[in-house]
Amino acid sequence: MVKATLAGLLAHRLRLLLTSLAIALGVGFIAGTFVLTDTIDAGFSRRFAAAADKVDVAVLPAPGTDRQVPPHIPAAALEKVRAARGVADAQGLVRGTSALIGKDGKAAGDYPTSGLSVVEGPLNRTEITSGAAPKTDAQAVLDENTAKTRGFKVGDRITVLDSREARHEFTLVGLFDVGLDQELGYTGAVGYTTAMAQRMTGQRVFTEIDVVAAEGVSQEQARTAVAAALGPGYQVVTGEKFADDLAKRNGADTGILKTGLLLFGLVAMFVAALVIYNTFTILVAQRTREMALLRCIGATRGQVFGSVLLESTVVGLLSSALGLLLGYGLSLGALTALTSLGAPLPTGVAPTLTPRTIGLAVALGVIVTVGAALLPARTATRVAPIAALRSQIEERTFRTGVVRMVLAALFLLAGAGVTAAGVAMDPGETALFVVMAGGTVFFLGVLVFGPVLVRPLGALVGWLPAKLAGVPGRLAMDNSGRNPRRSATTTVALTVGVTLMTLIAVITGTVRTTFTERLDEQFPVDYLIQPQDRDATLPRALGQGLRNSPELASVVAFREKITKVGDRGAEFRVGTFTPAPGFRPELDKGSIALLTPGTAVIGRHVATDLGLKVGDRITVRTARAGTVNLRVAATFNPESGVLPPVTVPEGDFDRYFGAVGDSRMMINARDGVGADVGRRIVEAAAQPYPTAKVASAAEVRGQFEESLDMMVMIITGLLGLAVLISLLGIANTLSLSVHERTRESALLRALGLTRPQLRRMLSVEALILGLIGALVGVALGVGFGWAATRTMVDDVAFQVPVTQILAFVALSGLAGIVAAVLPARRAARASIVGSLATG
Amino acid sequence: MTLTGGEVGARGAREKAAPAVVAKGLTKSYGRGDTTVHALRGVDVSFATGAFTAIMGPSGSGKSTLMHCLAGLDTVSGGQVHIGDVELTGLGDKRLTLLRRERIGFIFQAFNLLPTLTAEQNIRLPLDIAGRQADQDLFDRVVETVGLRDRLGHRPTELSGGQQQRVAVARALISKPQVIFADEPTGNLDSRSGAEVLSFLRTSVRELGQTIVMVTHDPVAASYADRVVFLRDGLLVSEIHRPTPQSVLDTLMKLEA
Ligand SMILES: Nc1ncnc2c1ncn2[C@@H]1O[C@H](COP(=O)(O)OP(=O)(O)OP(=O)(O)O)[C@@H](O)[C@H]1O
Ligand SMILES: [Mg+2]
Repeated sequence: MVKATLAGLLAHRLRLLLTSLAIALGVGFIAGTFVLTDTIDAGFSRRFAAAADKVDVAVLPAPGTDRQVPPHIPAAALEKVRAARGVADAQGLVRGTSALIGKDGKAAGDYPTSGLSVVEGPLNRTEITSGAAPKTDAQAVLDENTAKTRGFKVGDRITVLDSREARHEFTLVGLFDVGLDQELGYTGAVGYTTAMAQRMTGQRVFTEIDVVAAEGVSQEQARTAVAAALGPGYQVVTGEKFADDLAKRNGADTGILKTGLLLFGLVAMFVAALVIYNTFTILVAQRTREMALLRCIGATRGQVFGSVLLESTVVGLLSSALGLLLGYGLSLGALTALTSLGAPLPTGVAPTLTPRTIGLAVALGVIVTVGAALLPARTATRVAPIAALRSQIEERTFRTGVVRMVLAALFLLAGAGVTAAGVAMDPGETALFVVMAGGTVFFLGVLVFGPVLVRPLGALVGWLPAKLAGVPGRLAMDNSGRNPRRSATTTVALTVGVTLMTLIAVITGTVRTTFTERLDEQFPVDYLIQPQDRDATLPRALGQGLRNSPELASVVAFREKITKVGDRGAEFRVGTFTPAPGFRPELDKGSIALLTPGTAVIGRHVATDLGLKVGDRITVRTARAGTVNLRVAATFNPESGVLPPVTVPEGDFDRYFGAVGDSRMMINARDGVGADVGRRIVEAAAQPYPTAKVASAAEVRGQFEESLDMMVMIITGLLGLAVLISLLGIANTLSLSVHERTRESALLRALGLTRPQLRRMLSVEALILGLIGALVGVALGVGFGWAATRTMVDDVAFQVPVTQILAFVALSGLAGIVAAVLPARRAARASIVGSLATG
Repeated sequence: MTLTGGEVGARGAREKAAPAVVAKGLTKSYGRGDTTVHALRGVDVSFATGAFTAIMGPSGSGKSTLMHCLAGLDTVSGGQVHIGDVELTGLGDKRLTLLRRERIGFIFQAFNLLPTLTAEQNIRLPLDIAGRQADQDLFDRVVETVGLRDRLGHRPTELSGGQQQRVAVARALISKPQVIFADEPTGNLDSRSGAEVLSFLRTSVRELGQTIVMVTHDPVAASYADRVVFLRDGLLVSEIHRPTPQSVLDTLMKLEA
């Protein structure tokens, strides 16, 4: 029995390969995810361990409670640590912001460059890659990446703003590698001597104190001494533990990456399971006679069942092995790609293939394959021995059973109901999860209902191809609906991928239009000026100067302060704006003219948080006027992001908080002023203020869209795997069907169907299958995309990205045709006489 | 030679027109070296237009091979085959396919019909493939002759074996081919259904002037033909005209002896 099974497998190597490939892709993706994250983790651990070698004890601030002020260590602590017994040396690390000025005279980058201390001696953990560390206050080092993008090299003079935005010049004496520090990698960094770092960043405090223990003093002894010297309020850890903690924190980061990737991997595995299920179902159907013969000559049901399971186990093992190889390659590629994109990853670490990854991949591959083959295997045991004697395997006729209809209706109704409930809920995460659950249940309904849908949908999408392709087209249409169950499973696999892709397209499309519409509706600004550091402000003179410019129609400046609002001590941004012609922010009821002295307009979220409604009184703690009591004049939708959450009249604000710089300026050019002219004027006005960043509305939109596009591309790419697997499924189903219809094809050829026509027939069949899958996917994706966007924000501008979706459909059809290439070639090549004789 | 409606009548007169199919020195071997099988060893044969010819011979004598070579389903190893004025040997697959489509009809022993199509669609299939319109008169006549009027909407699985073969006969007739090749068309049928199918074939020869070449094992089936040729070991060894079951059986006995 075992021998017969294995011989059968070997005889159909191509089919075996195709089937295995489907699972292998899924396993490969999952194994690859593990190899990738394990490798990154291993790299991190190694780097952190290297750091720990230098540090015997690390002093960190106790985790802070106040979120506004990052936790820090007072300068005085350093002396205490140095005085502790067993301490050979201790250095405080300084970290803050100090904006590097680029060659254009403006602060470099979207965020201010970090400023940090480069300590001397054995505790130096900054990796200087060229030049030297700064020795005097006139010297500084720059991180390699910033140096490259901003065009600085060792020996250059660089200008940096200190925390009060005064300019300082330094000689660039070296470049350094930010290593694994994500934040530094993002902002870029300038390194100074410790004293200079304190001056530049304005931080008299330390973020960390590193200690080297004296000769003969263990890390733990030193730690105890330091902890005793400092007293409570600090976190004092040994270097070893410090490295462990760092590694763990990074592990959490890779954990998120892992979870995200695994989700896509699971989708791929689900699709692969559908493909396997279908393949085995077809195989069992095709081998009815063979199995009946086995039963005739004495094989028990158990043996027949076992033979199918054995076959699936072999497929599962093979796929897992293939998948592991694939995953290893994939992770290698991903690592190279990520590193070349400049992601702060440890380099020079060989990909790690742990026994856990191997075990998991093999278990997953085998379990999914065997699991998917269980049902078909059970069907195989039902083959009666008498079937061996029938001359022709009957076509499985499919009738819509009552059970199926009831089950499908139940799932569909339940899914639709849950989704509707989610849509009806207030926007938020819960609503989204409810919609997702509804979508899943509905999808199960589609899975059950699929076979019923295949024929009508096939007729619908096949109408045009059948018209165009003549007889082959018509035959293809018949063939596609011939075995509805088989076609349904084949296409559903594709539907999974297309549904998710459409869903993403709809959601991002909707977010995009909602965002831009809001932007246009609220205040169609031409330019936006913001300080590089979002928490900083700009001198008011800048706004004054702009207001004098005749080419500009309006300059609205916003000023804000974070302060306690309400009785419970919650903090909100309280702010105001300088009125300008044409600026009429939208309120829920009434106009901005309601904002009279002694009143405030508040965002809806503030109203909800504090339990306020229009007409209520609200208390605001101010800097100059004590706690004031204001009347709520109106509420507004905070999503527009224009007004500060608590907005008071300008005069009141000055009285409450005194002189506060502008945190944001919205500028409109006069009609008829060209975009480049306006931009030049605004930029010229901002030039003296290096941290004032000018963005045009188009740029803001562009950046937003770019990041959306990026996201869509990545997600679509990851979902592409599921689609690829489903295409293998189409190819597999088709080649099995072709095999089944060998004699039929020969008959058609004898009757005068040319080879190209036969190929076309199979291509059209695959096209129809692909289109059915895509169509159902698009319908589901649009429907649930709509439901999902309903749960995100109020009054969304629902948008179906038609071209994108049409492209999905066209690509699915095309992919179907591609999947048919091999089976079609085989069918066309078969000799007529030989095929007629089979059977 | 092309087919027009008028010619059918002319051929109906069973005059000694040019033969429909001619094979000269036909050889066919399978395999190479020691294992070579010479299925045909030089067959010269011609089939008259408007005649019903049966091919007989012991199992393995090369009957099916001969038919496949004559019909352009298989390539020959040597010799020539003419269908009307067209020489088959040397034609590429595309030309052969078009030739089959235009000039040849087939009836096989089994699996004659496409399971997805109804009887009527199966009958019209060769015309559809060729992109031609069925001659409605001919269609009605053919359907009437084979007695399938009330079965046209059924799929093959809903038809008996005999009915299926009758659909196959109708399909072969509908495109008015120059010649119909039938390989044991009644091999799977009981004697009554077989007799029905055979009489349709004979009727189509008599009334429509159709040319039919049929391979058979059954002396009774062969007796429906106008002429029987006998093959043995890949060679044409004998032939009889106006056969009866008895005369066919006698010849076969002689061959096997
Ligand atoms: N594809 C092939 N490869 C090798 N030998 C073949 C092939 N097809 C047929 N033969 C051989 O050619 C010879 C003639 O075969 P053919 O099928 O023409 O016989 P037949 O007269 O139709 O027999 P039957 O009455 O059993 O159908 C036989 O010896 C057969 O074994
Ligand atoms: Mg034969």
